[in-house]
Amino acid sequence: MLEIKNVSKTFNPGTVNAKTALNGLNLTLNDGDFVTVIGGNGAGKSTMLNAVAGTIQVDTGSIVLDGRDITRLPEFKRAAYLGRVFQDPMMGTAATMQIEENLALADRRGQRRTLKKGITAADREHYIEQLKILDLGLENRMTAKVGLLSGGQRQALTLLMATLQKPELLLLDEHTAALDPKTAAKVLEATQRIVEKNNLTTMMITHNMRDAITYGNRLIMMYDGHVAVDVSGEEKKHLTVEQLLELFSKASGSDEADDKLLLS
Amino acid sequence: MFFSSLLNAAPGAIAQGMLWGIMAIGVYITYRILDVADLTVDGSLATGGAVCIMLMRAGCNPWLALLCAFLVGMLAGMVTGLLHTRCGIPAILAGILTQLALYSVNLRIMGSKSNQPISVDKYNLVVSQRFVKELSLRNPLIPAIVTLAVLIGILYWFFGTEYGSGLRATGANRRMASAQGIDTRVTVTVGLMLSNGLVALSGALLAQYQGAVDVNMGRGAIVIGLAAVIIGEVLLGKVFRNFALKLCAVVIGAVIYYMVLQIVLQLGLNTNDLKLFTAAIVALFLSIPCWKDSVRTKKGGVRNA
Amino acid sequence: MKKALALVLAAMLLVSMAACTGTAPAATTAATTAAAETTAAADETSAQTEADKTYVVGICQLVQHPALDAATQGFKDALTEALGGAVSFNEQNASGESVNCATIVNSLIASNVDLILANATSPLQAAASATADIPVLGTSVTDYASALEIDDWNGTVGGNISGTSDLAPLDQQAAMLRELFPDAKTVGLLYCSAETNSKYQVDVIRGYLEEAGLTCAEFAFTDTNDVTSVTQKACDSSDVIYIPTDNTAASNTEAIANVVLPAGVPVIAGEEGICKGCGVATLSISYYDLGYATGKMAVKILTGEADISTMPVEYAPQVTKKYNAANCEALNVTVPDDYIAIED
Repeated sequence: MLEIKNVSKTFNPGTVNAKTALNGLNLTLNDGDFVTVIGGNGAGKSTMLNAVAGTIQVDTGSIVLDGRDITRLPEFKRAAYLGRVFQDPMMGTAATMQIEENLALADRRGQRRTLKKGITAADREHYIEQLKILDLGLENRMTAKVGLLSGGQRQALTLLMATLQKPELLLLDEHTAALDPKTAAKVLEATQRIVEKNNLTTMMITHNMRDAITYGNRLIMMYDGHVAVDVSGEEKKHLTVEQLLELFSKASGSDEADDKLLLS
Repeated sequence: MFFSSLLNAAPGAIAQGMLWGIMAIGVYITYRILDVADLTVDGSLATGGAVCIMLMRAGCNPWLALLCAFLVGMLAGMVTGLLHTRCGIPAILAGILTQLALYSVNLRIMGSKSNQPISVDKYNLVVSQRFVKELSLRNPLIPAIVTLAVLIGILYWFFGTEYGSGLRATGANRRMASAQGIDTRVTVTVGLMLSNGLVALSGALLAQYQGAVDVNMGRGAIVIGLAAVIIGEVLLGKVFRNFALKLCAVVIGAVIYYMVLQIVLQLGLNTNDLKLFTAAIVALFLSIPCWKDSVRTKKGGVRNA
Repeated sequence: MKKALALVLAAMLLVSMAACTGTAPAATTAATTAAAETTAAADETSAQTEADKTYVVGICQLVQHPALDAATQGFKDALTEALGGAVSFNEQNASGESVNCATIVNSLIASNVDLILANATSPLQAAASATADIPVLGTSVTDYASALEIDDWNGTVGGNISGTSDLAPLDQQAAMLRELFPDAKTVGLLYCSAETNSKYQVDVIRGYLEEAGLTCAEFAFTDTNDVTSVTQKACDSSDVIYIPTDNTAASNTEAIANVVLPAGVPVIAGEEGICKGCGVATLSISYYDLGYATGKMAVKILTGEADISTMPVEYAPQVTKKYNAANCEALNVTVPDDYIAIED
């Protein structure tokens, strides 16, 4: 489904602030893979996601999605094939527009927007059904402005919006990091349900080691702009957090593990 | 005496307010919906007036001339849009650049003259100040209301369509809009085109109303537009929630602004202080909701204590 | 919501309809009252009848500016001298914005003025557009034909409009330029592109100068910001510079002086204010006198002595050759004896 070949990206090249975020990154995702991505700060996780989404352009290498070379496509053109949930709950939705309007927007992702009515009665019924999956009571508040919702509700909504039109690839960038534990758990459950139901190829960045192990069929650890560890299937299921930390130390060649990793 | 002459002046103030209201709706589209600060309007207002008056002087039908003014206004908006989205120039600067260029363009359109009259006695004007107090079909209030009703209706429909929703999303959250597959470069430009088309239409009607187009007539227009938008929001924001009503609130804001201006004039104060007093009275209006709130909380607090 | 909106709009309309009278403006009501008074007081002396009439005169001035201020003052003085306490003024200033003129004129009409003084082109156009009944006298307007789009201009506007023009005879100004600078070959015509009156004067004087064998070039600035750079360009390629009665130039004489004096280029100005600031000589008209002449016209109209539709546009009563002593000395210009020095 996704082939990232030899991708590199340096920010502020040639200056004192130069930072090589991606360094000869190679990664292949198969259809239906649910990959969790972990790594220390500056490892290149978000940069990789942004590169795939098209928010940033890579310096070298190629990105091929379902046989389509999307390396030079602008972000809005790639949006037809991707679903994204950002870390910031404010980013994924339009606060001044209603829930149903946001869903209608997401529903038309990848299609030409015409002068037909923005939301039809049939649309509304469809959205109510979809919102029920989230189990947050949002189906009763379809005309409420999204700005009135809590962070967790907005993230759940963003998740729904990202998957309304079944995307070829779902990108989740630490989407529960800004939520309290209870809401985070709810959102992750919803994620699991939706991904399973639609058999979506998914990449999920997370700082939580336990979540990284629990969810998905494959785990990737990034370090210094490339993939350092790649575990899948049975091996992944039986990983423990301690083992993961050891793997990280070995891969990064340092005994000091990141504070954030330890705190999970 | 004061009130009777104020009442006498009301029709004129309302008519002017409504015509400026069209321009204020244009400003609302860029400032509130698209979240872009567009200063092109200072130039496109005069452009609309210039195009309309020169076409009519050449014998063109007045409604056709108004349509042409609208289209040329859209061109101006397109220039600003392209400068902003394709050349990476910040929106405010792009607007200023276009407005600067429009000064020369307007002079050219007007045949290198800075002022062109259009007499109601010689041409079939759509609106004219001459008839603002008449109880007849020639009264400019009538075409003003009809035009506003039609425009608000069209905009209400347009922003409810898929494309229109895309435009609103662009203004609400540009990153998210992009992530939803909307080409924000195009939607921003379309929004600017729509807005400046309306501003040019307003300029065309105003030029007919006052009987002449002047190359400087747009100077300071953005201030009036923003004042109208904010007055409308502040006074009627809680009451008018429907989008069409929000646009009406903007027009009402423009009318209030012109009524205030009229009041200041009728008060007969030192003429040099016209702008100072206008600003003071507008500031007073805008402070009302804030004071209402604080009075309410004080009262509530005492009751709960 | 829709109901509330409908109610609000309906209320506004009702208010404006209530204010909409028929076509019975101030002039006719004043005339009817005057007629009623005359018949009623037929037995009494005429002096008493005159004392009963009061007039309200509206003034719409475009911008605060010495020349325009002088014209308004002259106008008011003429009226006060003739009618004393019977005349009151409703004076408004558009603060430089032409769009305010329509609002001001609306206010004047609403206050039932008996006559409107339109001081400058935009007020004149606004007044002409807003009323066909109330007498409108223009002043400080250079060319009525182009301001009001009159074909076959014969000197009288007609209808409810007349006034005075501040056009100093351009042929005499061209002659003055040649008298003072017989050896000059090139003339720079400096003015603000946003002022039609300036363009008009530049076009006309260009004709006279070119007829006399001089080469002319136009230098137009857009506003205060590029006065200096455009003036510099004019200095680089002209022997003499001419500035018409341009409002923007009049507000920026210091800036112009700072360029022309060091460059040694003399300036012939269209009016005294500009000459005082940066010029060497001018054919001066007095804006005060112009306003005064307009006031005399107003008196005739208000008292019914004359009919405005037959009054031709009047010009400045007299012109005086004046020179700026300091600048002439600085630029080594010798001035004939019949010139009068401008006082400080």
